[in-house]
Amino acid sequence: MKRNVSAWSIAGLVFAGLWSAQVQAQDVAAAEALMKKSGCNKCHSLSAKKEGPPYKETAAKYKGKADAEATLYKHLTTNPKVKVDGKEELHESLKTKNDADIKNVIAYILSR
Amino acid sequence: MISQWWQRLQQRCTTCSRVTLGVGVLVAGLVISGVLMAAGAAGLAWTNTESFCIGCHEMRDNVYAEFKDTIHDRNRSGVRAVCSDCHVPREPLAMLKRKVAATFEIWGKITGVIDTKEKFEKHRYELATRVWTRMKLTDSHECRNCHHAEAMDPEKQSEKARARHEKAKAEGITCIDCHFGIAHKEPDGPGPKELKITR
Repeated sequence: MKRNVSAWSIAGLVFAGLWSAQVQAQDVAAAEALMKKSGCNKCHSLSAKKEGPPYKETAAKYKGKADAEATLYKHLTTNPKVKVDGKEELHESLKTKNDADIKNVIAYILSR
Repeated sequence: MISQWWQRLQQRCTTCSRVTLGVGVLVAGLVISGVLMAAGAAGLAWTNTESFCIGCHEMRDNVYAEFKDTIHDRNRSGVRAVCSDCHVPREPLAMLKRKVAATFEIWGKITGVIDTKEKFEKHRYELATRVWTRMKLTDSHECRNCHHAEAMDPEKQSEKARARHEKAKAEGITCIDCHFGIAHKEPDGPGPKELKITR
Protein backbone atom coordinates (compact mmCIF):
# COMPACT_ATOMS: atom_id res chain seq x y z
CA MET A 1 0.00 0.00 0.00
CA LYS A 2 2.78 2.37 1.05
CA ARG A 3 4.66 1.57 -2.13
CA ASN A 4 1.54 2.40 -4.14
CA VAL A 5 1.16 5.76 -2.40
CA SER A 6 4.78 6.77 -3.08
CA ALA A 7 4.52 5.63 -6.69
CA TRP A 8 1.41 7.79 -7.14
CA SER A 9 3.14 10.72 -5.40
CA ILE A 10 6.13 10.49 -7.73
CA ALA A 11 3.86 10.20 -10.76
CA GLY A 12 1.91 13.22 -9.53
CA LEU A 13 5.06 15.27 -9.06
CA VAL A 14 6.37 14.35 -12.50
CA PHE A 15 3.01 15.24 -14.07
CA ALA A 16 2.86 18.54 -12.17
CA GLY A 17 6.41 19.36 -13.27
CA LEU A 18 5.64 18.61 -16.90
CA TRP A 19 2.38 20.58 -16.73
CA SER A 20 4.06 23.59 -15.15
CA ALA A 21 6.86 23.54 -17.74
CA GLN A 22 4.23 23.40 -20.48
CA VAL A 23 2.28 26.33 -18.99
CA GLN A 24 5.46 28.38 -18.66
CA ALA A 25 6.43 27.70 -22.26
CA GLN A 26 2.97 28.72 -23.47
CA ASP A 27 3.19 31.94 -21.44
CA VAL A 28 6.52 32.89 -23.00
CA ALA A 29 5.14 32.28 -26.48
CA ALA A 30 1.98 34.27 -25.68
CA ALA A 31 3.99 37.16 -24.25
CA GLU A 32 6.31 37.26 -27.26
CA ALA A 33 3.35 37.11 -29.65
CA LEU A 34 1.53 39.98 -27.93
CA MET A 35 4.71 42.07 -27.78
CA LYS A 36 5.27 41.47 -31.47
CA LYS A 37 1.66 42.39 -32.26
CA SER A 38 1.99 45.56 -30.17
CA GLY A 39 5.19 46.62 -31.89
CA CYS A 40 7.28 46.61 -28.69
CA ASN A 41 10.33 45.29 -30.52
CA LYS A 42 10.45 48.35 -32.77
CA CYS A 43 11.98 50.34 -29.92
CA HIS A 44 13.04 47.66 -27.42
CA SER A 45 15.08 44.49 -27.66
CA LEU A 46 16.21 41.75 -25.33
CA SER A 47 19.66 43.12 -24.63
CA ALA A 48 20.73 45.31 -27.55
CA LYS A 49 20.58 49.09 -27.78
CA LYS A 50 17.54 50.62 -29.45
CA GLU A 51 15.55 53.79 -28.75
CA GLY A 52 14.02 52.23 -25.64
CA PRO A 53 15.80 50.33 -22.87
CA PRO A 54 16.39 46.58 -23.39
CA TYR A 55 14.09 44.21 -21.48
CA LYS A 56 17.08 42.93 -19.52
CA GLU A 57 17.86 46.47 -18.35
CA THR A 58 14.24 46.96 -17.24
CA ALA A 59 14.28 43.62 -15.41
CA ALA A 60 17.48 44.60 -13.59
CA LYS A 61 16.10 48.06 -12.75
CA TYR A 62 12.99 46.65 -11.10
CA LYS A 63 14.54 43.54 -9.56
CA GLY A 64 13.30 43.08 -5.97
CA LYS A 65 11.08 46.19 -6.12
CA ALA A 66 7.59 45.69 -4.76
CA ASP A 67 6.00 48.19 -7.14
CA ALA A 68 7.59 46.69 -10.26
CA GLU A 69 4.44 45.11 -11.63
CA ALA A 70 2.23 48.12 -10.88
CA THR A 71 4.72 50.55 -12.46
CA LEU A 72 5.09 48.49 -15.62
CA TYR A 73 1.33 47.91 -15.79
CA LYS A 74 0.75 51.67 -15.83
CA HIS A 75 3.55 52.16 -18.36
CA LEU A 76 2.12 49.58 -20.74
CA THR A 77 -1.53 50.60 -20.54
CA THR A 78 -1.80 54.40 -20.17
CA ASN A 79 0.32 55.78 -23.07
CA PRO A 80 2.69 57.78 -20.83
CA LYS A 81 5.02 60.38 -22.34
CA VAL A 82 8.58 59.16 -22.92
CA LYS A 83 11.66 60.99 -24.17
CA VAL A 84 13.28 59.73 -27.37
CA ASP A 85 16.24 61.70 -28.74
CA GLY A 86 15.29 64.65 -26.58
CA LYS A 87 11.74 64.76 -27.91
CA GLU A 88 8.65 63.70 -26.03
CA GLU A 89 6.42 61.07 -27.57
CA LEU A 90 3.61 58.83 -26.38
CA HIS A 91 4.57 55.30 -25.41
CA GLU A 92 2.39 52.71 -27.14
CA SER A 93 0.11 50.48 -25.08
CA LEU A 94 -0.14 46.71 -25.38
CA LYS A 95 -2.73 45.79 -27.98
CA THR A 96 -5.05 43.94 -25.63
CA LYS A 97 -7.66 44.60 -22.95
CA ASN A 98 -7.04 41.26 -21.27
CA ASP A 99 -5.58 41.79 -17.81
CA ALA A 100 -3.98 38.34 -17.60
CA ASP A 101 -2.22 38.84 -20.94
CA ILE A 102 -0.82 42.22 -19.82
CA LYS A 103 0.44 40.71 -16.56
CA ASN A 104 1.94 37.84 -18.52
CA VAL A 105 3.98 40.30 -20.60
CA ILE A 106 5.12 42.11 -17.45
CA ALA A 107 6.18 38.78 -15.91
CA TYR A 108 8.05 37.99 -19.14
CA ILE A 109 9.93 41.31 -19.08
CA LEU A 110 10.76 41.07 -15.38
CA SER A 111 12.10 37.53 -15.79
CA ARG A 112 14.63 38.44 -18.49
CA MET B 1 48.39 18.50 -78.20
CA ILE B 2 45.72 20.63 -79.91
CA SER B 3 47.45 20.17 -83.30
CA GLN B 4 47.55 16.39 -82.81
CA TRP B 5 43.84 16.39 -81.96
CA TRP B 6 43.15 18.57 -85.05
CA GLN B 7 45.13 16.17 -87.30
CA ARG B 8 43.22 13.19 -85.94
CA LEU B 9 39.94 15.00 -86.62
CA GLN B 10 41.00 15.69 -90.23
CA GLN B 11 42.00 12.02 -90.69
CA ARG B 12 38.59 10.87 -89.46
CA CYS B 13 36.71 13.14 -91.84
CA THR B 14 38.70 13.06 -95.06
CA THR B 15 35.89 14.60 -97.12
CA CYS B 16 35.49 17.65 -94.80
CA SER B 17 37.25 20.88 -95.62
CA ARG B 18 39.22 22.78 -92.96
CA VAL B 19 36.54 25.48 -92.85
CA THR B 20 33.72 22.96 -92.35
CA LEU B 21 35.68 21.23 -89.57
CA GLY B 22 36.49 24.58 -87.94
CA VAL B 23 32.87 25.72 -87.98
CA GLY B 24 31.77 22.32 -86.66
CA VAL B 25 34.23 22.48 -83.77
CA LEU B 26 33.15 26.06 -82.99
CA VAL B 27 29.43 25.18 -82.98
CA ALA B 28 30.05 22.07 -80.83
CA GLY B 29 32.12 24.18 -78.41
CA LEU B 30 29.40 26.81 -78.18
CA VAL B 31 26.71 24.18 -77.58
CA ILE B 32 28.74 22.44 -74.84
CA SER B 33 29.58 25.78 -73.16
CA GLY B 34 25.93 26.83 -73.35
CA VAL B 35 24.75 23.58 -71.78
CA LEU B 36 27.37 23.84 -69.01
CA MET B 37 26.48 27.45 -68.31
CA ALA B 38 22.75 26.68 -68.24
CA ALA B 39 23.38 23.74 -65.90
CA GLY B 40 25.51 25.95 -63.65
CA ALA B 41 22.87 28.70 -63.59
CA ALA B 42 20.13 26.16 -62.88
CA GLY B 43 22.27 24.69 -60.09
CA LEU B 44 22.82 28.14 -58.57
CA ALA B 45 19.11 28.94 -58.85
CA TRP B 46 18.30 25.63 -57.17
CA THR B 47 20.58 26.45 -54.22
CA ASN B 48 18.63 29.72 -53.84
CA THR B 49 15.27 28.02 -53.33
CA GLU B 50 13.54 27.83 -49.98
CA SER B 51 13.27 24.04 -50.22
CA PHE B 52 17.05 23.74 -50.68
CA CYS B 53 17.75 26.01 -47.68
CA ILE B 54 15.51 24.01 -45.36
CA GLY B 55 16.80 20.71 -46.67
CA CYS B 56 18.83 20.35 -43.48
CA HIS B 57 17.15 20.11 -40.08
CA GLU B 58 19.51 22.73 -38.60
CA MET B 59 17.83 25.42 -40.70
CA ARG B 60 14.34 23.90 -40.85
CA ASP B 61 13.91 23.40 -37.09
CA ASN B 62 15.55 26.60 -35.94
CA VAL B 63 15.74 29.71 -38.12
CA TYR B 64 13.03 28.62 -40.55
CA ALA B 65 10.59 27.69 -37.76
CA GLU B 66 11.16 31.17 -36.30
CA PHE B 67 10.73 32.82 -39.68
CA LYS B 68 7.27 31.28 -40.18
CA ASP B 69 4.49 33.83 -39.68
CA THR B 70 6.83 36.82 -39.51
CA ILE B 71 6.09 39.79 -41.76
CA HIS B 72 8.47 38.47 -44.43
CA ASP B 73 6.69 35.10 -44.51
CA ARG B 74 3.02 36.00 -44.24
CA ASN B 75 1.45 39.40 -44.74
CA ARG B 76 -1.57 41.20 -46.19
CA SER B 77 -0.15 41.41 -49.73
CA GLY B 78 1.30 37.91 -49.99
CA VAL B 79 4.70 39.11 -51.16
CA ARG B 80 7.32 36.95 -49.45
CA ALA B 81 11.05 37.09 -48.95
CA VAL B 82 12.68 33.66 -48.87
CA CYS B 83 16.05 32.85 -47.26
CA SER B 84 18.15 33.77 -50.29
CA ASP B 85 16.41 37.15 -50.73
CA CYS B 86 18.00 38.34 -47.49
CA HIS B 87 21.10 36.14 -47.28
CA VAL B 88 22.39 35.81 -50.85
CA PRO B 89 23.41 38.73 -53.09
CA ARG B 90 21.65 38.92 -56.47
CA GLU B 91 24.68 40.21 -58.40
CA PRO B 92 26.45 37.28 -60.19
CA LEU B 93 29.99 37.80 -58.84
CA ALA B 94 28.88 38.60 -55.29
CA MET B 95 26.53 35.62 -55.43
CA LEU B 96 29.31 33.28 -56.54
CA LYS B 97 31.56 34.59 -53.77
CA ARG B 98 28.80 33.94 -51.21
CA LYS B 99 28.17 30.46 -52.62
CA VAL B 100 31.86 29.58 -52.39
CA ALA B 101 31.94 30.86 -48.80
CA ALA B 102 28.81 28.81 -48.06
CA THR B 103 30.52 25.59 -49.14
CA PHE B 104 32.56 25.82 -45.93
CA GLU B 105 29.26 25.39 -44.08
CA ILE B 106 29.22 21.80 -45.38
CA TRP B 107 32.10 21.11 -43.02
CA GLY B 108 29.95 22.42 -40.19
CA LYS B 109 27.18 20.08 -41.26
CA ILE B 110 29.52 17.07 -41.37
CA THR B 111 31.01 17.83 -37.95
CA GLY B 112 27.60 18.64 -36.44
CA VAL B 113 28.45 22.09 -35.06
CA ILE B 114 24.77 23.06 -34.67
CA ASP B 115 23.02 19.70 -35.00
CA THR B 116 21.04 20.02 -31.75
CA LYS B 117 18.84 22.80 -30.35
CA GLU B 118 21.34 23.37 -27.52
CA LYS B 119 24.30 23.63 -29.89
CA PHE B 120 22.35 26.00 -32.12
CA GLU B 121 21.49 28.27 -29.18
CA LYS B 122 25.15 28.20 -28.11
CA HIS B 123 26.17 29.48 -31.54
CA ARG B 124 23.16 31.76 -32.19
CA TYR B 125 24.91 35.00 -31.32
CA GLU B 126 28.00 34.15 -33.39
CA LEU B 127 25.82 33.20 -36.39
CA ALA B 128 23.75 36.38 -36.07
CA THR B 129 26.79 38.63 -35.85
CA ARG B 130 28.15 37.07 -39.04
CA VAL B 131 24.98 38.07 -40.89
CA TRP B 132 24.85 41.50 -39.23
CA THR B 133 28.47 42.14 -40.15
CA ARG B 134 27.88 41.27 -43.79
CA MET B 135 24.78 43.46 -43.90
CA LYS B 136 26.56 46.39 -42.29
CA LEU B 137 29.45 46.08 -44.73
CA THR B 138 27.08 46.18 -47.71
CA ASP B 139 24.79 48.89 -46.29
CA SER B 140 22.04 46.27 -45.96
CA HIS B 141 22.17 45.67 -49.69
CA GLU B 142 19.78 42.71 -49.66
CA CYS B 143 17.15 44.71 -47.68
CA ARG B 144 17.43 47.45 -50.29
CA ASN B 145 16.75 45.05 -53.16
CA CYS B 146 13.08 45.40 -52.15
CA HIS B 147 12.99 48.39 -49.78
CA HIS B 148 14.15 51.32 -51.93
CA ALA B 149 14.92 54.38 -49.79
CA GLU B 150 14.09 56.74 -52.66
CA ALA B 151 10.68 55.09 -53.09
CA MET B 152 9.72 55.47 -49.42
CA ASP B 153 7.06 58.10 -48.92
CA PRO B 154 7.64 59.74 -45.51
CA GLU B 155 4.07 61.06 -45.62
CA LYS B 156 2.79 57.51 -45.52
CA GLN B 157 4.98 56.57 -42.55
CA SER B 158 4.06 57.07 -38.91
CA GLU B 159 5.52 60.12 -37.22
CA LYS B 160 7.83 57.88 -35.19
CA ALA B 161 9.06 55.95 -38.22
CA ARG B 162 9.65 59.19 -40.12
CA ALA B 163 11.72 60.63 -37.27
CA ARG B 164 13.77 57.40 -36.88
CA HIS B 165 14.47 57.21 -40.63
CA GLU B 166 15.56 60.84 -40.77
CA LYS B 167 17.88 60.23 -37.84
CA ALA B 168 19.26 57.06 -39.46
CA LYS B 169 19.99 58.96 -42.67
CA ALA B 170 21.73 61.78 -40.79
CA GLU B 171 23.83 59.37 -38.73
CA GLY B 172 24.62 57.03 -41.64
CA ILE B 173 23.25 53.98 -39.91
CA THR B 174 21.89 51.13 -41.99
CA CYS B 175 18.66 49.05 -42.03
CA ILE B 176 20.00 46.15 -39.95
CA ASP B 177 21.17 48.48 -37.17
CA CYS B 178 17.52 48.87 -36.08
CA HIS B 179 15.58 46.17 -37.97
CA PHE B 180 17.24 43.08 -36.48
CA GLY B 181 15.52 40.10 -34.92
CA ILE B 182 12.50 40.54 -37.20
CA ALA B 183 12.75 37.26 -39.11
CA HIS B 184 14.55 35.17 -36.49
CA LYS B 185 14.83 35.18 -32.72
CA GLU B 186 17.02 37.93 -31.35
CA PRO B 187 20.21 36.55 -29.82
CA ASP B 188 21.25 37.61 -26.35
CA GLY B 189 24.05 40.15 -26.61
CA PRO B 190 24.97 43.54 -28.08
CA GLY B 191 23.07 44.41 -31.25
CA PRO B 192 24.30 45.43 -34.71
CA LYS B 193 24.56 49.10 -33.70
CA GLU B 194 27.12 48.14 -31.09
CA LEU B 195 29.30 46.18 -33.55
CA LYS B 196 32.31 48.24 -34.53
CA ILE B 197 32.31 47.88 -38.31
CA THR B 198 33.30 50.56 -40.77
CA ARG B 199 32.25 50.50 -44.39
